[in-house]
Amino acid sequence: MRPDERDLDEEIRSHLALSVRERVERGEDPEAARLAALREFGYVPAIRDSMRRVWYGRWFDAGAALGHDMRIGLRSLLRAKGLAATVVVTLALGIGANAAIFSVIRGVLLRPLVNRDEDRLIYIRQTAPGIGAANMTFSVPEINDLRSRVTTIGAFGDFSTVDFTMIGLGGEPRIVKAGVVGGSFFDVMGLRPVLGRLLNEHDDGPTAAGAAVLTHRFWTTSLNSDPTAVGRTIRLGPRTATVVGVLEPSVPYPADTEIIANVVTSPHHLGATMVTSRTHRMTELFGRLKPGVSIEQARAELAAAHAAIVHEHPEAYSPKAAVRLTVRRLRDQIASPARTILLLLLGAAAVVFVIACSNVANLILARSVRREGELAVRAALGAGPGALRRTLLAESLVLCCGGAVLGVLLARPSVMVVARYAARFSVRALEVHVDASVLWVGAGLAMAAAILLAFVPRLPSPRAPTGLGLTSGSLRITPGTNRRLRVFATTQIALSFVLLAGAGMLLSTLVALQTANTGYDMRQVLVFDIPGPATGVAGQKEIDFYQEATRRISGLPGVRGVAVGSFVPWRDAGRFGPGVPFAVEGYTPADGEEDPRARLRIVAPNFFAVLGVPLLAGRDFIDADREGCEPVSIVSESVARRLFPNGEAVNRHMWWTDPYFGNRVLRRIIGVVADVDDENVIRGSAMTIYMPVRQIGHAGRLFVHAAGDPYALVPAVKRVIREISADQPVERAATLEDVRAEVLSPERLNAFVFSGFAGIALLIAVVGVAGVLAFSVSARTREFGVRLAVGSAPRQLLARVLGEGVLIAAIGIAAGAAGGYALARASAMVVPQVELPGALPVMGAAAVLITAAVVASLLPAARASRVDVVQALRSE
Amino acid sequence: MAKHSDEQRLELLQGTLDMLILRTLQWGRQHGHGIGQAIRAQSDDLLKVETGSLYPALHRLEKRGWLQSEWGVSEAHQRAKYYRLTAAGKAQLSREQDRWAQLVDAIGRIMNPAPAVKP
Repeated sequence: MRPDERDLDEEIRSHLALSVRERVERGEDPEAARLAALREFGYVPAIRDSMRRVWYGRWFDAGAALGHDMRIGLRSLLRAKGLAATVVVTLALGIGANAAIFSVIRGVLLRPLVNRDEDRLIYIRQTAPGIGAANMTFSVPEINDLRSRVTTIGAFGDFSTVDFTMIGLGGEPRIVKAGVVGGSFFDVMGLRPVLGRLLNEHDDGPTAAGAAVLTHRFWTTSLNSDPTAVGRTIRLGPRTATVVGVLEPSVPYPADTEIIANVVTSPHHLGATMVTSRTHRMTELFGRLKPGVSIEQARAELAAAHAAIVHEHPEAYSPKAAVRLTVRRLRDQIASPARTILLLLLGAAAVVFVIACSNVANLILARSVRREGELAVRAALGAGPGALRRTLLAESLVLCCGGAVLGVLLARPSVMVVARYAARFSVRALEVHVDASVLWVGAGLAMAAAILLAFVPRLPSPRAPTGLGLTSGSLRITPGTNRRLRVFATTQIALSFVLLAGAGMLLSTLVALQTANTGYDMRQVLVFDIPGPATGVAGQKEIDFYQEATRRISGLPGVRGVAVGSFVPWRDAGRFGPGVPFAVEGYTPADGEEDPRARLRIVAPNFFAVLGVPLLAGRDFIDADREGCEPVSIVSESVARRLFPNGEAVNRHMWWTDPYFGNRVLRRIIGVVADVDDENVIRGSAMTIYMPVRQIGHAGRLFVHAAGDPYALVPAVKRVIREISADQPVERAATLEDVRAEVLSPERLNAFVFSGFAGIALLIAVVGVAGVLAFSVSARTREFGVRLAVGSAPRQLLARVLGEGVLIAAIGIAAGAAGGYALARASAMVVPQVELPGALPVMGAAAVLITAAVVASLLPAARASRVDVVQALRSE
Repeated sequence: MAKHSDEQRLELLQGTLDMLILRTLQWGRQHGHGIGQAIRAQSDDLLKVETGSLYPALHRLEKRGWLQSEWGVSEAHQRAKYYRLTAAGKAQLSREQDRWAQLVDAIGRIMNPAPAVKP
């Protein structure tokens, strides 16, 4: 019969009892008999292990022994609740942060897409590094050329994004973001419908019937998964389409649209410009590799075909732009924007983990000094180094398991927070959910920490005298232990410094962004999106609508001014591409120099006054600047200064040189306005040319300058517009100030998340420094007693301990600055966006840490200065 | 008390402890402490069995089926785990005794060569 643990213990106990009884019967003193019996028996745990090893296999035995030690460890930790709680919470913070970040990284960067054979799915991008265009997209003629020349790719899929005003699904007319795709798109992407069918080659071309597929998210969130949605006919702008199916849940790429429709629904896609203009680029291109073809082969073939196309059409590819193709797997393409931020977060989480471990190491080290007596006794009784390590490992395992359990519990809600945050960078984060990987990461980290921590304390040397005084008398601290404690505390300060400086950098960037002077009146200007009405009004009717809306809204109480425009600052960033080439009278570009480019904006009279942009010369647009009258334009100060350095810009002529604008139309410059940058919150170069809405049309944005609270005007403005045109969407009302805040929310979140990490790190480091000093003070009670006895003032002792705290912090900061600099250099190789923080965040972080160190030292210092001389001297 | 000091004690030969335990139990059941004491007493204190060897050996023999254990109460009203020989244990004891005799004989021949001619 296999004896169990209790059986073995009982047998040993009875042996000892018999042995003691025998000695007592021989006349020995009971206490001496007990000690002698124990000494004769040998090291109990080792003998129990060797008995057990008879019955169980070696590994099982080691595990059982560890389990036994863990039970003992748990019991002894329950006697030191404060320490155990600190250690568990500290570890939980470190483990929880890492587990949460890792789940998100796994979901966003590592998990395969749902698309069929997703490893054969590639994303092809046309870039023009020469003019800073990271994604030029493709024009239809370019796609056709690639299709006819490339053999490594089985099929191409194309996708372009348009805004439709949709009527017929879910209440009011509204603007939906829609994808327009060719017939091969869904087959190339390898996606399936959950309801109905997807678009196929029969839906292609200008003669097919209008058809649209709903995305899963739109169908479930806006339509409550209504199955009758399939088969309904909807209005998309001027055309109609039938809803043919619902797409399976998948990563919405390249754009998060609500519906995906065929080409026939978009008049623009059927127009001559779209079909024949090589430079009219608005289409994203995907490809599916033929079986057995590597991505390198496809890359090489595509690059060769593209080079040939560029060679054949020099007019469409300027040498300066250096147009080229990049090819990557769709999965990598989708993940890439989030990669940097997630890796940085992982780094921050790892640093927090190291800080947590070093703090716990400190606490354990301090505890093991208190246990030195116990360990010495165990060693004297014959416990080998292995057995002693196992005892220590058991205890740190108990602590780390506690930390892991709490950490995993913390990780669950944090995953949601981090995923929502990461969703700003990669749509894939939306599908992240908590899974078993959190558990594995938590358990793995806990194991790593436990093993690390078990090797921190020094074992008592069997040679050293095992003074029993250690078990009973006051604490003695060896210089070695003291040095180690300080090293750990310094490490914590150094790592916290790195995180604090990083958080400080993000915060100062954010402050700079939020307080940058934009040149606009930020508080009082209310903006609306009013895209072209659903009925497809264009030309004169659209302009009449703007006129009437402007007139009626101006009459509302509390309105100081109204104007339509084409571009909401920052929110519409990138909408019109990188700028349009133009030329002016009297400025000839040097040989080989490109035409200058300017942003093209369409505005109504009074626009500059409404937004608070000063007119520097000439006049504003007026209602008389209409179609059929003299074409006019207004330029920004930077255009005037660059192209007319010696003279007046006003009354000279400019014209757009992009072929999209057809015949050259000379426009007289009638005014110059101050520079504003509506693409970037921090102002950069902003060459902009404005054209009057009455000569062009296509505005779509409404700006209202309010006298009082801008949001109070929203219902009235909406009502007025609906009175004029019932189908007209009026959306996304916000003040410029709030538009900026919305645009900056990723920066704010970055700063927030990193500050969170830095805050945790700081907290742990403060606990660490305070702990080290408290321990060192309590171990030196006698020294302080002697110092006081020989005439030191308590103030001197206080200053001494404070000085030690500040010294730890100062060394830590220096080490952190050096290490952080090296780290930033090293990580810049992996993540090129890494920057070094400026002087202000560095100084700020240092100041925070020094202050924290002083605060952390105050309590131990005060205790040192209040040491009772008599008691301190007697305690030895 | 002890008739021999620690220096005079003899190291047990490898493999002999099992035999000594089986032999000790030939006269009836006994607990671990008792077995240790018996070996010591019967060897006139020349042999001392370390607990670190005795207890694992007891468990090893029990596992092989030569011993059987049961909890009992000693003459001094002390609860203790008693070991007794099984039938297999008795057979093993006689085998070990034979082997021991052969070994002693063989070693004896080497150490004290017999006279060449027997009378």
